[in-house]
Amino acid sequence: MSEGRTTGTESNAGGSRNGELERALGDLRALSGDIESCSVLSRTGDLLYSSHGPGVERARVAAMLGALAGLAGRSAREEGKVRAAQVRVRTEAGHLLMVGLEDGGTLVAATALEARVGLVLYDMRNARAEIEKAAGEVG
Amino acid sequence: MKRLFRGLLLVGALAGALVMVKSYLQRRDPPGEEAVQIVFDDGSTRSLSSNTVEGQEFTDIARKVLEIGA
Repeated sequence: MSEGRTTGTESNAGGSRNGELERALGDLRALSGDIESCSVLSRTGDLLYSSHGPGVERARVAAMLGALAGLAGRSAREEGKVRAAQVRVRTEAGHLLMVGLEDGGTLVAATALEARVGLVLYDMRNARAEIEKAAGEVG
Repeated sequence: MKRLFRGLLLVGALAGALVMVKSYLQRRDPPGEEAVQIVFDDGSTRSLSSNTVEGQEFTDIARKVLEIGA
């Protein structure tokens, strides 16, 4: 998972390069209705895509997601592993789910507390290849 | 004698039911409930409770992300 700098690049503000990424994540959200928001971080911690509205400060989202990816990476190192493939965090506000991409990036999704988390993670893993391909074109 | 035994049995059953209802109403989530689950590349997992420093780090940041909303 990405754990580098968290520059918070605003990259889903339009443009054709990330159209594929937007479409791939749109497909994921259509498939998995429990997903409330989703984001993609690059290996270096840049925010490649976020479904958060225009009122949300993307740099802040990128910083927080980068920090979470960093914590997951630290945990992997402590356990003597290469990297964290999947992280599930449950809070009273809902679940935050992270799936590592092959290139070191991270796919993140937020769900409500009562969401079928196992199913969402399954859909995220299935969508990973398409998102990796689209993210590669953006990154 | 038989009536007394039945009466005692009834009182005992009522007392037991009261204790069960009381414990049900007073139940709380166990402290340090699992809050974070990490699956590593080799398939092994690590669970962190919300009452650990590391688990708290994850949940604090995740809560902020979730509060931002969709």
